[in-house]
Parts: sequence; C-alpha cells; structure tokens
Amino acid sequence: MRTCLLLTVVLAVSGMAPSEAVAQHGMRGGTPMTFFVTSRPIGDGGNLGGLAGADAHCQSLAAAVGAGDRTWHAYLSTQAQPGQPAVNARDRIGAGPWYNFDGVMIASDLAHLHGDTIELARLGNNLTKQSGLTEKGQIVPGLNDYQEAVRDGDWEFVKTTPYSNRHEILTGSQLDGRAFPPGIDYTCDNWTSNRDPEPGQAQGLEGGPGRPNAQIGFPDRNGGGNGSWNSSHGTTGCSQTALVRTHGVGKLYCFAIN
Amino acid sequence: MTHTRLWIFIGPLFALTATTTVFAQGADNMPTSERIPSSLMTFFVTSEPIGNGGNLGGLAGADAHCQALAAAAGATEKTWRAYLSTQARPGQPAVNARDRIGTGPWFHSKARLLDYLGRRLNRPIISSQIHGDTLEEAQRGSNLTKEFALTEKGELVNGIGDPLPTRHDILTGSQPDGRAFPPGVDRTCNNWTSNSEGSAQVGHSDRVGNGNISWNSSHATTGCSQDDLVSWGGVGLFYCFAVD
Repeated sequence: MRTCLLLTVVLAVSGMAPSEAVAQHGMRGGTPMTFFVTSRPIGDGGNLGGLAGADAHCQSLAAAVGAGDRTWHAYLSTQAQPGQPAVNARDRIGAGPWYNFDGVMIASDLAHLHGDTIELARLGNNLTKQSGLTEKGQIVPGLNDYQEAVRDGDWEFVKTTPYSNRHEILTGSQLDGRAFPPGIDYTCDNWTSNRDPEPGQAQGLEGGPGRPNAQIGFPDRNGGGNGSWNSSHGTTGCSQTALVRTHGVGKLYCFAIN
Repeated sequence: MTHTRLWIFIGPLFALTATTTVFAQGADNMPTSERIPSSLMTFFVTSEPIGNGGNLGGLAGADAHCQALAAAAGATEKTWRAYLSTQARPGQPAVNARDRIGTGPWFHSKARLLDYLGRRLNRPIISSQIHGDTLEEAQRGSNLTKEFALTEKGELVNGIGDPLPTRHDILTGSQPDGRAFPPGVDRTCNNWTSNSEGSAQVGHSDRVGNGNISWNSSHATTGCSQDDLVSWGGVGLFYCFAVD
C-alpha cells in the first residue's frame, strides 16, 4: 500500500504519464488528447468568469501543452435566468469519442459518457482515477491520497501541496449532463459568484434557497457515497475556501469539440 | 504516512479478533468506534481464492469458502453467500447472484470505525444502487469502491496501478443487473465446476479496466484454469455477502 501511495504521489508530482499502470487489457491508445482535467483551477472559487472564462481557461492550459489547435470547452451547465435559457454541459462538448493524455478513450459518445440507457449506465464510462488525467498527464489526487485531517481541507495548505486530495470537479450538472432547473443554485450563479452562505443560512452539501452552491463530480469515482463523475453532491459555498473544505479546488473537465 | 498510521491503529484490533472471541462477544458496552470491525461486517471480498480456477465446488463450495474465511476473521454468527450466478440447465433453473445475498444494506469490515479523518462515515452498499435498478441509480453509482471492497481481514485488493499481481477480477458469472446469463454461452465455468474449458464473467473490485467501471460484470475470461484467471488480472476471488 505504501508503494502504491508513493507511486501515485510520484506520478502526480512528476507529471509522468502512468502508461505502465494502465496497460492492462490493452487500453493504450496513441490518439491525440481530446479530454483532460485542468491541472490547476482558476482560483477564485466558483467565479470562473462565466462559461467564457472557463472555456478560455481550458484553451490556455491546452495551448500550453501544444494542444491549442483544437477548440476546448469546459464541461459546465448554467441555469435558466430571465431572458437567458439554460445551457447543458453535455451540449457543449462535441460528439466524441474523447481520449485522455495517454490516448485512452474516456467515452465513445455522449450516451456512453452519461449512461443514457440503463445498460450503458450500469457499466459506466471509462473515466477512472487512472484515466482522468490532467493536460500534463497527471493523476488528480483523490480520496486516500495524502489526506491529513483538517489541513487537507485548508486552501492555504492545499495550494502548496499539489498531491493532496482535490478530486471534486465543478460541473453544475445533473447526472444526465443537463442543467438543473432554475431556483436552487447549483452553478455558483452561473459561474460568476465566489460568495459563501451568510451566517445563519442553512449549511450543508445540498443546494437550498438563496444558498451559493456548485454541483461537483469525481474523476476517481470515489466519494459522496456514489461513483458519479459529474453529479455527486454540492459544496459548502462558492468561495475558494469553501470548495477546498470538501476536497475540491475548482478544477474543470475540458473536452475538445473538434 | 497516513496509511501507515491507520494500519498501526487497526492492526491490533484484528489480532484481538483472532485470539479473543470472548472479547468480541462482550463488546456491546464498548463505544461503537472501538468495536472489532469484523463483528459488524456483512460484506467482503475473499482474501484468498479457492485456488482451483473456476471450479469452486459449485455454489455450495463457494458459500463454504465465504463462511470459513468469515469465521477465521471472527464473524462466525452470520450466514454468508457467495455473489455468484449459475446458468439454467435441463431440469435446473438459473440462479441469480442478486437473489442469493439477502436484502442488505451491507457494511464492509471497517464499518463504524472512525476513519482517518476522525469521521464516522459508515456508508453501506445497497442492492438497488449496486445493481442500478433505476436509470438514475445506475448513472449515479454506488459506494462500492476499491476502498469499500475490502477483504474479510480489512485489506485492500490489488487493482490497476498497484504492485502486481493484479487481483481485481472478481468472479460473478452475472450480468450488470446481478442476474444469470441465459443458457448457451458459458459465463460461469460450467456453474462453477470447471477448471479448464469455459468462461467466467468477472467484475473489477477497483472499478477500473476494460473500458467500464463495472464491479460485477466487466468482461468474460477465456478459459477457467487458475492460469487463465491470472492471465486476465484475477486469481479467482469472489464477493461474499451476509444474508442475515
């Protein structure tokens, strides 16, 4: 177990592709990357500068590793507001298939990615801790990676400790990849808010009236009592500090649409 | 480091389980966080295979293996069933794994122990969630993760990314909904009696491999010998559930 932990840490820190670790069952590809988890967050909690700001973040991280010739979109939904229809994350990311840094296929199409039929949903897609790599080929540290009570939920510690747990990815989406209905906030006010609940407002990991909140999922499929990659639970608020409290830093899924 | 400390903490508890069952039975007035893990366990992955490939001695042999491993870990008072299906034969109806294991919910061997963050998560697995009985349940998934799928000794099962040999292929002979395959193509090593010809449907205890995250029905093996199973990334482990 120590070796496993060490390996994960070494991979996460060094930015090496864990190709040998995923060589089982002939999963290796060789196909250009069209999916990644952002190696770093924007850093202002749930304020991403809207969908445009999030897309620009995906694009600039991709460009920094030589993948800027594609058009990248963040996997995020926004909720309907007066005069502004909802946007579904699943409608923003092209048709697939999508491949990670290693050329391993994450999903063949939208139905596979989201489990549109019960048969597909029971099997699941191929997004796992081993395949959910950043644009640099790093594993996203998850549950059981360098967890330290109290400190790994503290942004001051987490931002200087790149191998501590940070597996909550912002999506603002329901299980099927679509936006939540308007009313309860699941998108940090359509990715423009870094506010936290006011003192006296209800606390917890579910959305509630007037409570800043973002729906998240886990690339390591481990947390919240379910394995959802895109819609496991909410956050304690929309500030950077609040995201970190439940082991997220504001990372995004990015997909190439072409 | 955190792991090491965790195991230093838990290790002696297992030693106590093995040596003093009297202590285990008298544990009712202990704080729940200090109870011996295996006395609350209703789910585990076998720490060791039977070792004869897909020949488990039928369902009865597999159930006996579950029972023996549980007893060795101190969980003697429960009735254990292997999570295995068998396919229909002339005069012999199919058996669905999901119908053999009681109603749950099921807890692993660390149930109700404080975790390393001092939290008492105590999340079980639930039949409708692990089988994805509704579309929403299937999409959301269950708490059956690599960290939940511990052996009766409370140990992790080696999966993808861990030191070899990989042991994550878990025999089930089942479809994703927990039911038997139709008769015809063998998915159960001839109803768990073959160690040569045939094929076994397996799931992955670490939810990684073969392009899906299925715990109970990821792919089929080619062949039923012990070597065949090893070549696919397993050793012939299976899931055990307490029915009571």
